[in-house]
Amino acid sequence: MDNLQIGRHISGQFNEDLERVINNVMHMGGLVEKQLTDALAAVDTTDVTLAKEVLSNDYQVNAYEVSIDDECTRIIAKRQPAAGDLRLIMAIVKTITDLERIGDEAEKIARVALENFSSSQQDLLVNLDNLGRLVLEFLQASLDAFTRMDCDAAIKIHQMDDKINREYEALIRQLMTYMMEDPRSIPQIMTVIWSARALERIGDRCQNICEYIIYFVKGKVVRHTTAEDMKKL
Amino acid sequence: MISISPKALATGSDPAFSKKLDLNNLAPEQVALDINKLNLFYGKKQALNNITMSIPKGQVTAFIGPSGCGKSTLLRCINRMNDLVDDCHISGEINLHGNNIYNKHVDVAELRRKVGMVFQRPNPFPKTIYENVVYGLRIMGENNRRRLDEAAEQSLRSAALWNEVKDRLHESALGLSGGQQQRLVIARAIAIQPEVLLLDEPTSALDPISTLVIEELINDLKKQFTVVIVTHNMQQAARVSDQTAFMYMGDLIEYSDTNTLFTTPLKKKTEDYITGRYG
Repeated sequence: MDNLQIGRHISGQFNEDLERVINNVMHMGGLVEKQLTDALAAVDTTDVTLAKEVLSNDYQVNAYEVSIDDECTRIIAKRQPAAGDLRLIMAIVKTITDLERIGDEAEKIARVALENFSSSQQDLLVNLDNLGRLVLEFLQASLDAFTRMDCDAAIKIHQMDDKINREYEALIRQLMTYMMEDPRSIPQIMTVIWSARALERIGDRCQNICEYIIYFVKGKVVRHTTAEDMKKL
Repeated sequence: MISISPKALATGSDPAFSKKLDLNNLAPEQVALDINKLNLFYGKKQALNNITMSIPKGQVTAFIGPSGCGKSTLLRCINRMNDLVDDCHISGEINLHGNNIYNKHVDVAELRRKVGMVFQRPNPFPKTIYENVVYGLRIMGENNRRRLDEAAEQSLRSAALWNEVKDRLHESALGLSGGQQQRLVIARAIAIQPEVLLLDEPTSALDPISTLVIEELINDLKKQFTVVIVTHNMQQAARVSDQTAFMYMGDLIEYSDTNTLFTTPLKKKTEDYITGRYG
């Protein structure tokens, strides 16, 4: 938070407005993290109750997005933020969009727990576990970097997505082998593929969040740049 | 269709998105004013510290900064208004077309014809609208009625005032509203075809709508003149200027294109000022 230097505005009202928005983003981040953790746990233990809880809690994530968005619009209209303040607001508006989508992906994953997997097919779900853990770690690290607006951390963890992509591809190859071996399992395997896809997408969205952090701190747009260019920052 | 190279998109450097001038390396024909190591003292107090900057031609350059930072002082140096202040000493150069305006043999009246100025409060002469606009030309010895009429119409059109006053050109200028008076004063300043137009907080005494009209006007004026504006209103600087210079306690802290200065300033002092933080 020190990086933000929010409390130094001459207008105390402005300080309060920004602090409130940032706190809400933190809460939203915490909620999304919990949704993903619960969704993965629900799949892991086929806990139907927990899965349903994830589904019913998604509205909270959406509500956060709408209210933070609203608050940011109000700040832009009333305060006309410039420089770092402007970049912060832009970063927040984009981050909450990605967080909301991560919430949606968590919901998709939770739905898997509601499907009837026979115990013999249960093994398929274990494959998701590793990828899920990696993605959750990436999300936690991204939110942590966002809280501290830590640019160095963001640059470092940005590359975690490569690892996730590799894991995802390996998983897909493995699932394809299963499908070839036993075509009757295709419907269930497809479900697993969708969840793997959802996890892979969450990785991309965490990567976006890292890019917004870098944009806020350095004022540089690093979307669509190579890892080498990014290291030069 | 604008075609964008993928590389340019990735680096955000496509010229179609930002026409940035390299302010440190302007070609001579791009420069309107070249300020070089300018120091100014009011008595013993130094008000400007070693200011060096190039103001590009045909663009709007804004000076911003807190009260007493020297922005108005610097603006007034450009047409030697500070000559009128007792106990004011200046060293350094301001070059207009490569000629230092502080050279001994420079005719100050001639300089001020080339470098017009508009002040914070509209100051029309207690004459008719028409006489206000052609005043400068008359002083310069122009008495041809047809030419004066033409100049008056053209200047009033350029100042976006013609449609409002064309039917009452021979009524007193003091009957105009504040916003109209300010545009009249701008028309008077541009009637003598200056090269540079200095605007010292031109809208601070005006209502928001008149302010927008003047801002729109400034944007049109830069096609013909080089405009230098001092403003307390940062959003105004962001809206109207191509370049912005941030000054603080007599120093030029940061001078760059407006888009950069208001989104990613390099200096912390600039950032603190434009985001309204304690210095």
